Amino acid sequence: MARFYFDSGDRDLTFEDEIGVECAGLAEVRRAGFEGLIDLTRESLKSVDGQQLFVEVRDENGDKIMRLSLLLRVKLLK
Amino acid sequence: MANHDLVREGDRPVYSFVVLDGLVGSTKHTGEGKRQITSFFVAGDIPDLHGLHLAVMDCNFTTLTPARIGFMRHDTLRSICDQHPRIATSFWRSTLIDAAIYREWVTNVGRREAYTRMAHILCELIFRLRSVGRIQDHVADLPITQAALGDALGLSTVHVNRMLQELRRSGLIATSGSKVHAMDWAGLTHAGDFDATYLHQRNLADQW
Repeated sequence: MARFYFDSGDRDLTFEDEIGVECAGLAEVRRAGFEGLIDLTRESLKSVDGQQLFVEVRDENGDKIMRLSLLLRVKLLK
Repeated sequence: MANHDLVREGDRPVYSFVVLDGLVGSTKHTGEGKRQITSFFVAGDIPDLHGLHLAVMDCNFTTLTPARIGFMRHDTLRSICDQHPRIATSFWRSTLIDAAIYREWVTNVGRREAYTRMAHILCELIFRLRSVGRIQDHVADLPITQAALGDALGLSTVHVNRMLQELRRSGLIATSGSKVHAMDWAGLTHAGDFDATYLHQRNLADQW
C-alpha cells in the first residue's frame, strides 16, 4: 500500500489533496480517481461549454502519475 | 478495535449492547457489496435496543474506531422494564431519537450537497460527543477513516478529502491528525444546514 494524492478541480480552481488515500497499485488509484471524478462532476459541473473537470494523482514523491478528466461540449444543432 | 462487527444482519441476539467508549456505526451492504453507514453511535448509546422487540437483526453494527462495549441480556432488560416503567419509557424515547437521526441522515445523504453533507455530519458528531461530555470546547478526536466518512456520506474517499479541504479553506475547521476542531461553530452549523432539534437533547441547545 502506498499513499496517493488526488488533486481535483476545473480550469479556475484546483484543490490540492493534503490528506491522500492509501491504494494498492495503479488499478486502485484509477478506480479511486474515477469515483472522485464522478462526485466532482455531480457537484461542480455547470452548463458551460468547454468546462473541464479533472482529478490528477500524485505519488508520495510528488510525481504526477495519472490524470482523469472530462470536457463538456454543448452545441446548438439547429 | 475498529471495523469489528458487533452484531450482524440476520443474527438473533439475546443481548443488547451499550457503547462505553469509541464510535460505532449501523451499516448495510448493497447486493454489490457497497457499504452504507446509516448512523453513528457514541458513548452512552444503546444502538441495538430495538433487538429487544425485533427478533432478527436487519443491519450490522460495526466499530468505526477502537471501542469499549458493554452487553446486557435481553431477559434482564425486559424484567427491568417491567419493574421500572420510567426506564422503559426512556428506552422507548431512545429508539425514537434513533429514528429521528435516521430521518435526518436520509435527508442529508439524499438531498444535501457534499459540502453541506460533510459539515452536517461533523456538527452532529461534535454536538453528540459534547452532549455526553466526551469533548471539551469544539475539538473532537475522530480517528475515523476517510473511507468510513465516505460510507456515511455516500461519497468517494477522494471527494471526502476535497470536502474536508474546502471546510478547512473556509476557516470552519482545523484538523490535526485525527482531531477535528470546529473553529467557527456558528459558521459550521450554517454551512451544514444543522439544526440540533432532531437530536432531542433537552436543555443542551441553550449552552451552545
